[in-house]
Amino acid sequence: MISMRDVSKQYVPDKPAALIDVNVDIEQGEFVFLVGHSGSGKSTFIRLMLREILPTTGTIAVAGQDLGKMRNWKVPFLRRNIGCVFQDFKLLPNKTTYENVAFALEVIGRSKHVIRTQVPEVLRLVGLEDKMESYPDELSGGEQQRVSIARAFVNRPPLLLADEPTGNLDPATSLGIMSILSRINKTGTTVLIATHDREMVDSMRKRVIALEGGRIIRDQSRGVYGYGD
Amino acid sequence: MAINLGYFVRESLVSFRRNWVMSLGAIITIYLSLLLVGASIGSSVVVNNIVQSVEDKVSIRIFLKDGAAPEDVESLQNALLKDERVKGVTYTSKEQALEELKKTMEDSPEIVDQLDVNPLPASLDVDLEDPRDVMDVVAFIKANPTFPNVADKPEEPEKSLKYGQQIVNQLFTFTRILRTIGVVFIAMLAVISLIFINNSIRLAIYARRKEIGIMRLVGASNWFIRTPFLMEGVVQSLIGALLTLGTLGLVNLYVVPIVRDQLPFLPFSISGTVAVQISLLLVISGIVIGVIGSGFALRRYLKV
Repeated sequence: MISMRDVSKQYVPDKPAALIDVNVDIEQGEFVFLVGHSGSGKSTFIRLMLREILPTTGTIAVAGQDLGKMRNWKVPFLRRNIGCVFQDFKLLPNKTTYENVAFALEVIGRSKHVIRTQVPEVLRLVGLEDKMESYPDELSGGEQQRVSIARAFVNRPPLLLADEPTGNLDPATSLGIMSILSRINKTGTTVLIATHDREMVDSMRKRVIALEGGRIIRDQSRGVYGYGD
Repeated sequence: MAINLGYFVRESLVSFRRNWVMSLGAIITIYLSLLLVGASIGSSVVVNNIVQSVEDKVSIRIFLKDGAAPEDVESLQNALLKDERVKGVTYTSKEQALEELKKTMEDSPEIVDQLDVNPLPASLDVDLEDPRDVMDVVAFIKANPTFPNVADKPEEPEKSLKYGQQIVNQLFTFTRILRTIGVVFIAMLAVISLIFINNSIRLAIYARRKEIGIMRLVGASNWFIRTPFLMEGVVQSLIGALLTLGTLGLVNLYVVPIVRDQLPFLPFSISGTVAVQISLLLVISGIVIGVIGSGFALRRYLKV
């Protein structure tokens, strides 16, 4: 699903690189945590996969496509294969839950018929079938994050990226979000979560890739957060 | 594409409502610049008509000296008639010239009566097919070998000739100046409208940056993100163009007839086909301005 070979990323010359010699393979259907302190390179990792940025050296392949060789106009089609969830939800405040999720299908040209069937389905999956007409400011943080997960998943992408999905949420709510993400993973979608939520990582016992100073310092299946801080 | 078209129209309207002040500014500048374009094209059509009518009256008069040999005059006349640029040549005798003078001086006949000899020269009037050939035909006459024999003042050939080229030249200079000023103004206004559209689209992009971010995230194609903004710019300039057409239509309907009544001797009218051409030109240039203006804004402010 994802393959990185000798990837380094240096934003500014003569400054420390954000990622150094990263080699990672993530298979279809895996559930992976990407852990590390702030500034360890987690966000750079995510942005590289979305092809928001290109690596300084090395090659990245996502869903069988070499991102370095990809033409700019093809990037949107790559992103249709990647669902994306963020710490700040990125919901549109003037749209209802239903409209926020529908928007993601609308702008990639899906028909009204497809929208009408897929949106309620995915909202049921995240447990928001009763909140379809609510606006984001009428929802709790956990509910808002579930809307954003629904939006990321409504197009059934083979890969779901989450950048600190529980960063703004309390532990109980975070657990709910995690169980939704794990449910999505069970449908065969590869899930990659960048986080520094120790409890969550430890409780899930999934593959953990740990970054520090831009390097991978640990990559173990069924791992734990594992920083002694 | 039916769904998309509805989406784009809706998005453009929403965005228009959101920053209507900028949009209105853009529409007004486009309106003014196109109005100037339309007015200057319209007036240059009218001026051309007027020049045409003056040109049609253009002829060359050759003054003949007293006692010029009739056969020389005839040979010059024949040489001119053989030239394909010449429509016709008429001979005016001294007596006829005096008669004409009397006619124009009807109000004060005593001036003519006081003359004891006829001071007027006989002349040949040369009518041309195309007024633009005046200078060539003048040169041709001067070069003719019999011309010095018959000319009133052979040593000063220019004074033996009278032709309307001076008037036409002045008119041409006048219209050229008018056109240059018009072009400069239009260019300036076009730049201003481009800046306005550019700005209003920039604001529209800024107002919708969150949506744009999400569109990018979920993989909306680049043209899908850009089209609503492009359409907004085009709609703005189209509205400006239509306002211009309306205004010019009203002017043509109410103001032009008044001017025509005041100056009945000038051919003050714009034909239907010319009006349609002007309208098309205005609408098309409006669309072009809209596309270019919003295109600039998209290139600069909407990185996809």
